[in-house]
Amino acid sequence: MDEREMMAVVESILFVSGDPVDAKEIGRILDLDVRMVRKLMKKMSDCYHFERRGLQIISVNDTYQLGTRPEYSNYIQKFIGQERSQGLSQASLETLAVIAYRQPVTKADIESIRGVKCDYILNTLLNRGLIQEVARMDTPGRPILYGTTDLFLRSFGLSSINELPPLETE
Amino acid sequence: MPYLVKLQQFEGPLDLLLHLISKSKVRIEDISITEITEQYLETLHMMEQFDIEIASEFLVMAATLLHIKSCILVPKAKPEMEELEEPDPKQELITRLLEYKKYKEAGNKLKEREAYYSGIFYKLPEELFTNEKSEVLPPDVNIDLLHEALCRLLQSRQKLGSTESGPAFHEIKRDTITINDRIDHLKNYFSMYSKSTFFSIFEDDSSREEIIMTFLALLELLKVNYLEVQQDYPFGDIIIKRRNLNG
Repeated sequence: MDEREMMAVVESILFVSGDPVDAKEIGRILDLDVRMVRKLMKKMSDCYHFERRGLQIISVNDTYQLGTRPEYSNYIQKFIGQERSQGLSQASLETLAVIAYRQPVTKADIESIRGVKCDYILNTLLNRGLIQEVARMDTPGRPILYGTTDLFLRSFGLSSINELPPLETE
Repeated sequence: MPYLVKLQQFEGPLDLLLHLISKSKVRIEDISITEITEQYLETLHMMEQFDIEIASEFLVMAATLLHIKSCILVPKAKPEMEELEEPDPKQELITRLLEYKKYKEAGNKLKEREAYYSGIFYKLPEELFTNEKSEVLPPDVNIDLLHEALCRLLQSRQKLGSTESGPAFHEIKRDTITINDRIDHLKNYFSMYSKSTFFSIFEDDSSREEIIMTFLALLELLKVNYLEVQQDYPFGDIIIKRRNLNG
């Protein structure tokens, strides 16, 4: 099977899946090792860009998914005929920023940085699947440690947590 | 004519402080505690006047500011010794403000990213995935057996004279027969016949309630040793006998 054919196979799989597909899974189907899959996917993604397609390959933590290009979201909105749903509140974004940059982090840490209680916001973020409990701290009370999810990365256009823009220090 | 003031919403005391500092156009490191405390308390006062409920965190910060202010006013007794033990509360506040500012700005950046990337749409998975976890029959059960069992169940229900076709309403009726009635009935029965079979004692019962009552009466009589049961082979009819105790 040549490369173009493999890309076609992956494309059809990503279409059927809709959800992100793991690099390992693609490797299993095409009989490739993960490193080769990553190479193939990089090339495929570049092809999409080069051909200026309406779709792109979104890669998050070694998974791949088909999505539309945000540049054309206005036209999609026109097609759906619906306003986009409101984004997160300022407080949620601030809390999310603390978690993203300091994870794993406890509620107490978040609250001491923000200077306000965060119970409600943490629940909202948990419910929206943007953060998760990653572990518990080995101190009295065993407080929950929070971290961000793959959905967080996807929602903010990051392929891994290392891609977060560095915190600005004056 | 009412005078309308639009108050900015603050995420917390630190947010309010940052706002005040940026308004007076000084660097965080150069804040004057006296000034900032005054402005801070003024804002709280204004919030109170506009019936905005002030969260306790804002009051804690007010206390902190006043504490710092008093520390500045009162000269330290032994400056060199105490500096080692207690960190400068003003410096501490500045550190917190700088730290908070970093995350506030990071949050703003996240907002921009969110606005842009929420314009990506995804496709739902093909529906064939939803069947993936359908229940599997245990290996020794086949469809014919289940079908047969279902038919038997439906038939026996018809025998009970239930005429309703679907589970539309359920009527709760007062028990027309009691266990005691049935116990008397069974005692009577076994005073005539010393031996009977399980199925034959239910012969007169037509409704589900009657069957249940007879069954409970039977259990009761077994418990008090009035009757005894015996089964010769598995699934065979159960033979019920009166115990020959004292009568």
